[in-house]
Amino acid sequence: MKFTQTHRSDEYQTRRRWLTGAVGTAAALGAAPLAGAAPLQPRKQLLLLFLSGGASQFETWDPKPGAKTGGPFRAIPTSIPGVRIGELLPHTAKALHRLTVVRSVVSNIADHFQGHYALQSGRIAPGYPVLGSAVAKLLERPDDVLPGYVSIRRNGPKAYTDVGDAGFLGAKYDGVKVYDNLPPQNLVRPAGITTPLAESVERRRRAADARFRQRHDNRPIESYEATYQQAAALMKHREIFDLSGESSVMHDRYGRHEFGQHCLQARRLLEAGVTCVKVTHFDWDAHQDNFYWHQVRCAEFDRTFVTLLDDLEQRGMLEHTLVVVTGEMGRTPQINNLGGRDHWGRAWSMAMAGAGVKPGVIHGATNDLGTEVTEDPVTHGDLFHTYLRALGIDSRMEYTIGDQTNPVADPAAKPIEALLA
Amino acid sequence: MNGILLTHLPRRWRNRDKIACLVVLGLALGQTSRGEGPTESRPLHERIDALVSRQLESRKLIPAKLSSDAEFVRRVYLDLSGVIPTAQEARTFLDDPAPDKRARLIDTLLTAPGYALHMARVFDVMLLERRVPAGGTAVDVPLPAWRDYLSEAFAENRPWDVMTRELLGGDGSDSDRGAAVRFYLTRDVNAHQLTRDVGRLFLGIDLQCAQCHDDPRFKDYRQEDYFGLYAFLERSKLFPVKPKGALLGELAVGTTKFTSVFTAKSGETYPRLPGGALLADPQLEKDREYRVKPGPKERGIPVYSRRVALSEHLPRKETPGFTRNLANRLWALMLGRGIIQPLDLSHAGNPPSHPELLAELEAWLAAHHHDIRGLLREITLSRTYQRSSELPDGSPPPPDAFAVAPLRGLTAEQFRWSLLQATGRIEAHLATLDAQPKKASAAETPAWKQLADRLEPLERPSAALLAAFSGLPGQPEEGFQPTVDQALHLLNSEKLLPLLKADPGTLLHRLSTMEQPEPLIGELYFSVLSRPPDAEEMSEASQQIAAAGSPEERNVVVKALSWGLLLSAEFRLNH
Repeated sequence: MKFTQTHRSDEYQTRRRWLTGAVGTAAALGAAPLAGAAPLQPRKQLLLLFLSGGASQFETWDPKPGAKTGGPFRAIPTSIPGVRIGELLPHTAKALHRLTVVRSVVSNIADHFQGHYALQSGRIAPGYPVLGSAVAKLLERPDDVLPGYVSIRRNGPKAYTDVGDAGFLGAKYDGVKVYDNLPPQNLVRPAGITTPLAESVERRRRAADARFRQRHDNRPIESYEATYQQAAALMKHREIFDLSGESSVMHDRYGRHEFGQHCLQARRLLEAGVTCVKVTHFDWDAHQDNFYWHQVRCAEFDRTFVTLLDDLEQRGMLEHTLVVVTGEMGRTPQINNLGGRDHWGRAWSMAMAGAGVKPGVIHGATNDLGTEVTEDPVTHGDLFHTYLRALGIDSRMEYTIGDQTNPVADPAAKPIEALLA
Repeated sequence: MNGILLTHLPRRWRNRDKIACLVVLGLALGQTSRGEGPTESRPLHERIDALVSRQLESRKLIPAKLSSDAEFVRRVYLDLSGVIPTAQEARTFLDDPAPDKRARLIDTLLTAPGYALHMARVFDVMLLERRVPAGGTAVDVPLPAWRDYLSEAFAENRPWDVMTRELLGGDGSDSDRGAAVRFYLTRDVNAHQLTRDVGRLFLGIDLQCAQCHDDPRFKDYRQEDYFGLYAFLERSKLFPVKPKGALLGELAVGTTKFTSVFTAKSGETYPRLPGGALLADPQLEKDREYRVKPGPKERGIPVYSRRVALSEHLPRKETPGFTRNLANRLWALMLGRGIIQPLDLSHAGNPPSHPELLAELEAWLAAHHHDIRGLLREITLSRTYQRSSELPDGSPPPPDAFAVAPLRGLTAEQFRWSLLQATGRIEAHLATLDAQPKKASAAETPAWKQLADRLEPLERPSAALLAAFSGLPGQPEEGFQPTVDQALHLLNSEKLLPLLKADPGTLLHRLSTMEQPEPLIGELYFSVLSRPPDAEEMSEASQQIAAAGSPEERNVVVKALSWGLLLSAEFRLNH
């Protein structure tokens, strides 16, 4: 336990160091700096592992071996007596007592576009912030320097995978995109620009904005200012994107593949103090050869996921970090004539671990064929409430933006109390 | 007559309730007040102001004062030409003593070739939302053809119903206006995507959720509305052609069926516009349904095309939402927000902020054959548009009251061209072209095309800038959404640096030749911010320039001053 404490304060120290570099910007924003005796309490953080395309619940969290919908794989025992999961997740099975699994998600959305949005925003109605943006806003602190939300993904098609973002919260809470683990572009000042010139430009810009702010609506001006502050912070701390400092052993443990390396990057960013990080794991949309694809995808996911949990725990981060594993939907019980499973939102599964949730709980159930939820149905709105509550946020709160208020979570849904620690 | 009289009434009279005002007027003139007559004869921009003012009074909100000439000139250039004025243009306007100079400038800008290019850029983004077809440019209309199509339409002020007919009805084979098919191609001729976007962009309604069930949020959006629209579109197919490009083929058969995921209630439908009547297919003899029968290498052309039927039935003032959507979108373009907001969520639960105003704009468009230029003229002539963006009492009033001019982010296109304008690169480039011998064919080329061709070489060097400021494909760009990537681009991009160099004819070059600090600083502020510096700005900048020892140091100071202004919120926003 003592080990944990040390790491926590280190982490906070790191954040304090950045603060000193950014006093000017905070003051310029008119934000009240934290009082000297700020509680040394680590911030809650969020890591979203998004299985894009939709993972099959049958091949993962809710196997139905022997059923005609069950597919060829076995179910294996786990660290929770009497509970089995798919054999493609052997490492996860041993760690199941540390997880919270929901086997009764009823989102009724069988569309990538809508599912990506609804599972991340907890709503169907457009314009709301996604989870990472919402939590970045709700857990924001006045001394924050780094962006509150970073999204790590492959630089591939973005049609639906980047759907939505900060919505009405504004650009400051949009996910900063990290493609293929490359840092954002233009983090380094060009050789031709001397430091005195850059500083002089920055002074002129601030002076102009201070004047313009006097008689104008300050909100868009501050929104613009925030992007310069984030830019300065990212430039100053660009080493957080540099994985070369991580040991070779660490690279191996996380896995030398896209998802593994992206998760290692995610841990680095969380450690550096970014509130929310999302990693997108691609290619789960197995309309053909579902069983082959799930072997490949699960093999990557399984080891990396458990490595990540171990690493977060060893660093004392897991107790204040909520880890969420979901996609935009599940996959059909029916196996189509190409050996695939199609889009499905009626009865599927997701998992959580870490801050605020009860470990070792398996919530809800489906029938023998996996076609219907038989116990404790849970909607995407309920999950969203639950994430917020697990992070210590009252999910009945409202955002006040200008003259408008909006509930942070869908009032028609509610948190799943049975899952909350 | 009455209209003229009314404008001369004191503001406090004009701002009163319209009906009360008309009664008084009718009595004064000894008329029996019918209400309609005098209202109709007043120009639209006055009726806009009367209706906006009426609500301001009932909500007890104080509107901002009239914009300064400097605020106005920058705003109206950005809104009607898509670029800030040159220093010279801004100065000329500020120095002009004529009382009608604003109206004259509006008319000048609306008929200038830059208007057509700007509106083409605006509608390109609005209609395509920066999409790229799944098959890439190989199955798309070439970008220049699409731009020319839009530019020509706005240059001749083609009515919106005519444009809509071209956008929705064409199959790409028309030699003249075939580029309009790009609306379909960038959506891969996907009938679901098209159903959603035809609803959103042409009728102001987003039927997305009604695809799977009646929308529980909005009782106006029924699943049968979605599939009624879908039925117009689902028979159309992508037909790639060699070596490049694509056309639309269409089937003559196929019925549209749907099932609610909630109630399992199912239905089958013919084409039908939301809220309209079913449009049954004509009965055709078997084997006579096609002009060209579809085959592996044949593009199907039916005798009766549902897509063409859509293009004939939708763009009519009688179609609920069609004219109103245009009115609302043009208003939003000039005022930063729709009277219905979001622009694509028109339904009973989201009423317009100013129902009568929206009805007036809609009626005006219906009476004036969907005249886009005409409506923009009336909106920009209004006092509501011409208000200052400076807050009257310190706190921003609710945005749906239109009490203050909003601070709007420049679009990616406006930002690109304004940065090129502010740095003097457009003027320098055009001067270079003018110094070259003229090409013979230039006389027959329309003015908008000449301008487009002349500006084209400036696009490649600023392509990275445009990309950094463009939104994601498939998402409407609403509101001001600055990102950290944009800030990093402005601070550090190697691709931006060449635009800021002191090449001959550019701003920094011009400034380097000026001896005295005052005129230099004046030229800098007019070039970047379209206004003179105030006393404080002048004295600060003068001191910095005076402190520079050598000409080299002085150039660095001037560079920092101009770059700082380019990065400022005042430059980034339309205010």
